[in-house]
Amino acid sequence: MKKFLAVLLTVCLVASMAAFSLAEGKKTPSIAIVVAGSLGDRSFYDSANSGVEQLAADFGTETKVIECKEDASLYLSSLLEAAESCDIIAAVGWQFFDSLGEASEAFPNKKFIFIDNAFDEIPENMMCICYKQNEGSFLAGYIAAKLSKTGKIGAVGGEDADTINDFLVGYEAGAAYANPDIIVERQYAGDYEDPAKGKECALALYSSGCDIVFQVAGKTGEGVFEAAKETGNLAIGVDGDQKYIDPEHIICSMVKRVGKSIYDVVSDPDTYFKGGTVWSANMETGYIDVTYGEEGMTQQISDEIKAEVENIRQQIISGAIIVPTTLD
Amino acid sequence: MDWSTVFSMSTLVNTVNTATIVVLAGLGCLLTDQVGIMSIGIDGMMTAGAFAAVMGSWLCGSWLMGIVFALAAGLLFGLFYAVFVVRFKSDEFIIGVAMNIFAVALTTFMLRSIPGQTGSFHPATGTVTKLPAFTLTLPGGTPVTLSLMVPLSWLLVAVCWVMMYRTPLGYWLHASGEHPESLRSVGRSPERMRYLGSLLCGLLCGLSGAYLSLGYLSTFTENMSASRGYVAVACVIFGRSNPLYVFLAALLFGFIDTAGQRMQGVVDPTLTATFPYIGTILMMVLLAARTAIRKRRA
Repeated sequence: MKKFLAVLLTVCLVASMAAFSLAEGKKTPSIAIVVAGSLGDRSFYDSANSGVEQLAADFGTETKVIECKEDASLYLSSLLEAAESCDIIAAVGWQFFDSLGEASEAFPNKKFIFIDNAFDEIPENMMCICYKQNEGSFLAGYIAAKLSKTGKIGAVGGEDADTINDFLVGYEAGAAYANPDIIVERQYAGDYEDPAKGKECALALYSSGCDIVFQVAGKTGEGVFEAAKETGNLAIGVDGDQKYIDPEHIICSMVKRVGKSIYDVVSDPDTYFKGGTVWSANMETGYIDVTYGEEGMTQQISDEIKAEVENIRQQIISGAIIVPTTLD
Repeated sequence: MDWSTVFSMSTLVNTVNTATIVVLAGLGCLLTDQVGIMSIGIDGMMTAGAFAAVMGSWLCGSWLMGIVFALAAGLLFGLFYAVFVVRFKSDEFIIGVAMNIFAVALTTFMLRSIPGQTGSFHPATGTVTKLPAFTLTLPGGTPVTLSLMVPLSWLLVAVCWVMMYRTPLGYWLHASGEHPESLRSVGRSPERMRYLGSLLCGLLCGLSGAYLSLGYLSTFTENMSASRGYVAVACVIFGRSNPLYVFLAALLFGFIDTAGQRMQGVVDPTLTATFPYIGTILMMVLLAARTAIRKRRA
């Protein structure tokens, strides 16, 4: 009798589990994102987080977010922690270069996504997503040069690193394409989490005669917007569509849809997850773009310039314009 | 960018503006130094002040309430520090470091629970009212915008100096750190003076945080003091706890930082990032050298 009950209960349990998984319909693997900095930058990391939130909303995906808050000693342990509980682990930030290889070796059966950087030899359980930020920054530079009244524009970078410089060379090339005489100044804040530093950098640029500043510095960039507002100058947002933050002073944003790329890989791994390869998320596929905020917001950019930008966009996609890069 | 932008009016104005954060915190730190406590915990007090200021301004819609909130937060942290260090005689460094970590964690937690936001504060409804600012026109014709807190910090430097060197209270504070027994012999309690020093430090650091989040910027982000409290501690050591010298030291640090930042156009950016630290080391060497020379003469 006892045995019979046990069997019966087991059957019930298995049946209910099967029924449960059938009722859920399409099931995605669970995803953990490990971000090198911290959320709340309304830019790069928040973009990644929005992709994960969308997955949870659309498919009920199990998600996990771990923030390393720029603490390099947490990179490896956070990746390992994420890999223990989730199927796919996205390392968001080029900073994971030293620790991701070790983590992927420790968990050969899990899938790893490296956002914003690539290895020379990529293991089979990892894919790298590199974004063509130089293409979008080219458009941002073009717009800035067209709108500048002083003939001088600036950019604030988080630090002097390849990925950040990839934005900056694209920006400079775009500016020179619009106006060969344009002067482009750079400032590096040396920090992604210090808006006061960002404001200092932007004030330095504005006081030297720049009238438009492109921020590529995450949370530090909040200070750039603050400086633009205080001095009555203009700024360009990055990674997310940041125009809403201050529509009067932010003219456009160079968006890098990190969230969308994570969403695509996790919701359809069979199509998108190709282990051992680098996926180049570019302008053609829509992961890189320039946006002008939502309808009803003040527009500083005329429709003619927007049309020119669209034209250049097509030329970049077709390969007629080759944008310089600091990567590969 | 060239040398003319490095040494310009705008560099000076920005030096004064950013130095104000350090000046206010430095004043707080030197008061605890007077009562014989090295207050390493001021960075945490600033973080708490910065958060409370933004919350106050946002919840009540007035910058004045922001200041009140920041002062209250500073006072609480100052009390917390005093209770552990004066009452329970714990190690001031350990409590200070613990307080710095605690303040970052607490403000992060409260940011996520009160307005429900992660990382930085951007209200969907309501606005953050900044501290009032006024615009001066300099002789050269350049308009300069200063926050109200900037001249207030200068006033506080003067008040602090007068209090320390021209009032009995200043001497009592000093005696409680230097020679508590002598203070006790005239019927004053050194413990009470230490409490006072720590509470005043909390108030000033609260103001410093409020200026950072509501005066210089208009938002709160996690860990936004970014170790500026430690710079203030360095200024206090360098300025030998004299409000005037601490003020000058803060300006000097501010200038090295701002000018160094702006030298990026002419010098390699990886090198300019080291300027503040090289400046600190140089100043400490100078200080040590001067002390050594004085000792030899004496």
